[in-house]
Amino acid sequence: MALYCLGMLQAHSLLWHYLWVAPSVLLLMLGFGLWRQGVHRQHPFFLAFVLASAVEQLTLYVLDITPSVEPLTWWRFFWGGLIIESILKFALLSEIFAHVFRPYVAIATLGKRLIGLVGIVLIFASSMAAAFAPVDSLFGIVSGGHLLQQTIYIIECGILVSIFGFSWYFRIGIRSADRGIALGLSVSACVHLATWALVANSSLPDESRVVLDFINMTTFHVCVLMWIYYLLVPRRVSAKTAPIGLPENNLAVWNRELERLLQ
Amino acid sequence: MTLAIILVVAAALALIFILSITVSRNLQVSNTSLAEGIQPLDVEAFRNLTDVAEDAYLRRRLRPADFRSVRRERLRAMAAYVQVAGRNATVLVRIGQSALATNDSETAEAAQQLVEQALLLRRNATFALLRIYLALAWPNSDSDTRLILHRYEQLNGSAMLLGRLQNPSMPVRISVGS
Repeated sequence: MALYCLGMLQAHSLLWHYLWVAPSVLLLMLGFGLWRQGVHRQHPFFLAFVLASAVEQLTLYVLDITPSVEPLTWWRFFWGGLIIESILKFALLSEIFAHVFRPYVAIATLGKRLIGLVGIVLIFASSMAAAFAPVDSLFGIVSGGHLLQQTIYIIECGILVSIFGFSWYFRIGIRSADRGIALGLSVSACVHLATWALVANSSLPDESRVVLDFINMTTFHVCVLMWIYYLLVPRRVSAKTAPIGLPENNLAVWNRELERLLQ
Repeated sequence: MTLAIILVVAAALALIFILSITVSRNLQVSNTSLAEGIQPLDVEAFRNLTDVAEDAYLRRRLRPADFRSVRRERLRAMAAYVQVAGRNATVLVRIGQSALATNDSETAEAAQQLVEQALLLRRNATFALLRIYLALAWPNSDSDTRLILHRYEQLNGSAMLLGRLQNPSMPVRISVGS
């Protein structure tokens, strides 16, 4: 049994095929579901991200299992997909930010400035991390791809932490759909940052890299299921909130305060 | 490898932070318990602490070293007030947000107003605390907390209005004094 499980944790095993293809198929189904429910009007960049990720991963999968495709060609497609996905991901982050903070005039501008500042710091930090990483001159396209992934995930993680932290500090509620999207992105970004940091900054043996690939694929699969749960599963309508149990004292003081305010 | 370890630890901490926020948000707290978390504030006492004339008087009457010491004490007291005001604001944001879902448009409007003012107060309280802590290092400087006081008084009015709309027989109290 143990040997069977170990056999599954190898490239081109049945589990490997499933974990690469299934999330992409589920993403296409999610995209179709979002379109049918009209959710794409509120989350256009999420829909674009979902469809682009699915197409990108399926293309890379087909290229990977096609024997005639050269490794260099595969990596070129990987770079192209990564750049498009990253642009859509950052547009999606700005969409989440707008949904969470735009309704509140009091802190919308502050939030925008803070996220801008955090973005600048993260770009600087990720550039420094990339500058100190070892570069493989023989396979520059491969190590460059790893570094680009690491850079993108550092920025993505930092912005998501800022959005969650900022909303927590001000106790702003995040709508279920936005929370689900942000949570899925966060889990994916944090796990991918950890794995890509290991791949980009250490000379791991091939077996370990395959294990990291499995961790990434499994995480992404879980995130896709989270998105389906938060966006397609109907939510229970919460019961009407009960009136606030307000203390009975100080009514006169409050009345005076209100009257003074109204003058 | 050191860089990899730093990034792995940072990613793990980020994930724990985000998940803990999400889990804590899902734990529902009733409005009654929320309202109980509001601490009364003596607006008059705070107004006295932020009075520029009072500061000027103390500056004239006391030796510079004594003035700095007294000013620091007053700033610490001011910080304590502002912290409570900020915490009360967060409670009111949550109460206001839970009231936003109501079908009654008047209550929803009052709730929206309460949330906006509470957020503004929270923001101002944050900046005021920064300024107070800076002023603690340089007690001779001015810390303009009068804006906080003004916001707090406005917030009192909004909370009262929302409380009366939701439950006309009972008011909500976030301060004592006039």
